[in-house]
Parts: sequence; C-alpha cells; structure tokens
Amino acid sequence: MAFRPDYLLRETGQNLFRNPSLSVASILTVAVSLSLMGAALLIQQGVGEVNKYFRDGVEFNVWMNIDVEQEHIEAVSNFLSDSPYVRQWEYVGTEATYREFQSYYSDTPDVLELVSADQIPTSFRVTPNDVEVDSIESIGREIENYAGVKDVNFASDDIKAISDFSRGSSTIMLFAAGASAIAAALLMYNSIRTAVFARRREIEVMRLVGATKWFIRIPFMLEGLLQGLIGAFLSIFSVFALNRAFENFFADQDFYAFRDFALSVSDIMGIAIALMIVGAMLGAVGAGVAVTRYLDA
Amino acid sequence: MIRLEGVSKEYPEQGVPALRDAYADITKGEFVFLVGPSGSGKSTFLRLCNKQEEPDTGRIFVAGKDIGQLSSWKVPMLRRNIGSIFQDFKLLPTKTVAENVAFALEVIGRPRSVIRTQVPAICELVGLGDKMAKLPDQLSGGEQQRVSIARAFVNRPLILLADEPTGNLDPQTSIGIMRLLDRINKTGTTVVMASHDRGIVDTMRKRVIELSNGVIVRDQARGVYE
Repeated sequence: MAFRPDYLLRETGQNLFRNPSLSVASILTVAVSLSLMGAALLIQQGVGEVNKYFRDGVEFNVWMNIDVEQEHIEAVSNFLSDSPYVRQWEYVGTEATYREFQSYYSDTPDVLELVSADQIPTSFRVTPNDVEVDSIESIGREIENYAGVKDVNFASDDIKAISDFSRGSSTIMLFAAGASAIAAALLMYNSIRTAVFARRREIEVMRLVGATKWFIRIPFMLEGLLQGLIGAFLSIFSVFALNRAFENFFADQDFYAFRDFALSVSDIMGIAIALMIVGAMLGAVGAGVAVTRYLDA
Repeated sequence: MIRLEGVSKEYPEQGVPALRDAYADITKGEFVFLVGPSGSGKSTFLRLCNKQEEPDTGRIFVAGKDIGQLSSWKVPMLRRNIGSIFQDFKLLPTKTVAENVAFALEVIGRPRSVIRTQVPAICELVGLGDKMAKLPDQLSGGEQQRVSIARAFVNRPLILLADEPTGNLDPQTSIGIMRLLDRINKTGTTVVMASHDRGIVDTMRKRVIELSNGVIVRDQARGVYE
C-alpha cells in the first residue's frame, strides 16, 4: 500500500474543511479538556516543587530581640548545635542582615533612610534534618521559649495548607479533565463519523475497487490527529497563562518555597509535550474507531 | 474463473434463502447472463463473488482460489482483479470523468505516471475521450455508465461483474453499453452480468443462468431470456 503524499494531504484537508463547525467543536472540546488536564498537572508539579524545597530542609528563622544579650545568643546556638533535628544553622549578624535589608529595599531609598543598622534585629537561619512538619514545629516552639527570642517564622504551616489544598484541587481537576477527555474523544468520534457518512459513497467505491482498509482509514485518522494537535496547542497557551498567574501571585509571598510553585519554562515544556501526545492519541484513536466501525458494518 | 460449489445464502431479516445450493462454473473469457425476476438471487450471486457477502454454506472459487479461506486483509487484492458496475453507476458527483476513473487507480496506490497514461486511454476506449473534464451530472445516463465501466476496467481486471448495468437506460443506449461490454469481454475479461432485460439477453445469445427464488433453474449455452 503506497500512499502518495499529495493524495493524503488533499483528502485530509478536504475532510477538515468539509464540515468546519464540527471540526471547530472537536478542536475546542479537546482544548478545554486538555487545559483542565494541563492545569491539574501544573498544580501537581508545583506542589512537587514546593515539597522538594521542603524536603531539602526548609529554613525557619529565629528572630532575636534588637537588644538581645550575648549570652542569650549563645544559649540558642548551643541548643541548635546539640539538637539532633538540626542539620545546620547560621547566625546572621547585624551587618549581614543590614546588607540584605539594603539590597531588598534598594529601589525605595525612603525606607533605607528610616532604618539604621542598630535597629536591625539579628536572626538564626536553621535548616532542620527532619522532613516531618510536626517535629520541626516542636523545635521551633522550644526555641520560642528561650530568653531574647522575639519570634520564630515557619514556612511549614503555609506549605502544609497549600499542599493539602493543591492536592485536593488537582485531584478534582484530574477527574474533570478525565471526564472532558472522554467527552472530547466521543465528540471526535461523532465528528469523524459524520465525515465518514458524508463520504460513504466514496468509501463504497474505494472498497469496491480494492482500496485497503488502512488506505481508507488513514486520512480520517490524520484528520482526527490534526484536530487533536490543534486542540492541544490551544490548551498549552492556557497552561502558560495559568502558570504566569501563579508566578504573579506567589511572587508576593514571603517564602522562597512558594516561588517554586510556578514552574520554569522547561518544566512546562514537559507538560506541553504530554498534552500534545494525549491530544494526538485522542484524535487519532477516536477517528480510527469511528472509521473502523463503519468499514466493518 | 468463478466456481460455486453448493452455495447457500440467507439474509436473516428476510427469512427466505437468497441463494440455495447453487453450483456454477464460469470459465475464463466467458460472457454469462444471470436472469430472473427481482429477488431471485442475481445480486447475491454477484456480491458473493467479490466477497461483499459471505455464503452460509458452500465454497466459492475465484481464479482457482477458495475465497472463503481468504483473510480479510487480502480481500482488497481480490477486488483489484474484479471490476464492478451497477445500475446506479456509483460515480462521485464532485469529480470529473477523468478524476472518477483516476480515483480507482489512486486508491490502490498506483503511481501518477501510470494514471496519466491509463486514464486517457481508457476514456478513449469507452468513447468519452472528449468528455474527460465533464462532471457526471453533465453527462447522459449512457455516458455515465461508460464512465463507470472505464473505472471498473482501468485496472484491467480478470472479471467484470455487472449488476443490471442497463436497468436505467433506454434500449438504444443499452445497445451501446452492451457493445462496449462485448468488446471488453473479447479482450479476455470474464463478464458476469445480471439482467432482466429480455431484449438484450435474446440479442446477445450468450450463456444464460436463470435463477428463481434463489435456485438455479437453468444453465444454458447461447441461451435466451426464457
């Protein structure tokens, strides 16, 4: 069975444009279902990234009072050195903190003028060993009771909340994506069936003169494949848009961990490729089944 | 070329056998009429020969091969050796005469060079050399049937199955079509034609197989309609 490329292109193109409303409907359904799937994947990977950061040992900060005594600092240092839960810690003195402060507010000189070095509190940056949120919290609470400690900041509460939320919502979204993927495949099936029906005479002639089933099937499958790919392409745009929204939202958050929630372009390319493959399969398989059922009838 | 051995076929929805214990042996190069009233099994006979239908019992041999044993992916190869023409022509209305004929070669993957030489030659043969760019609805019924014959014959099949090819045509036009089929038969192609056109059958004096309610009641060389 030799396919001539011009024959294939002509047939596929004719099919695609013979019934534009159906083609558009199929493409959009694929686009919507793949957008949902993409969003679910995006959130899942985002949670994965945040958890990875968390697992790598999310820092917590122990802020000391501005007028802290040297002995209090030593007491906290000793506790941190002795604690089996602490992988490493670092004391950030006045000067280092002030430098960070300066670079952070470099574009707002008003704020810089208001604060001088002696008004800057010092802190410990602690990297815990344990990935269990509970035990990190218990160390934090213990340190909070030391004299001279003003406050302990955790990322853990927020991380826990957001990963619970994301896990729940991405499961729901995967379900929605699954349901709309089925809808997309069915619509594709119907769209191709209509196209097959419109061309039943041609197909009858093809079978009579001895065209193979694959020869009849492939232009239709190619049509479905194209529709699936166009739909996938559209859904990739919405995934990028959603990621941009996450990026903007989390840029304002205090902890670096959340900034990783928005994915890099290369991570999204992974999702994009997955969507392309699913879209292509959805289209080609839906079309293939539709034609085959007609051919066997 | 075509041999039926005890072939029976019943359509479940009709309840009466369309063909009952049929035996026939058609040799290479023969011209055979299948005659009988509507519903006597003529079309079923033809449809069994190119495996559009499967017999309930019995065996059918085409070119020496038992087509009941043929795996489904080989059926297209069988059909490439069997041309088919019909009462309603089955032309594609959006394609020109030349495109309709070329379509038969295209879909079996023939190279363009073959199409370029074969299509005009066959159109010339059926007498439509000057109408290749016309659409089917710009042609008369007889001309449309010529296009369908050209399409069936362009691949030089061993067998031509014709199901009432003159059923929609006036007697004068029918004679032209019969002359064409006779010419094709003279090239060595076996022709099996279902017809209830008494005039044609009587004029041609070819072998006649008569069917009645699915039973072969007569098989006569150089026969007449009844």
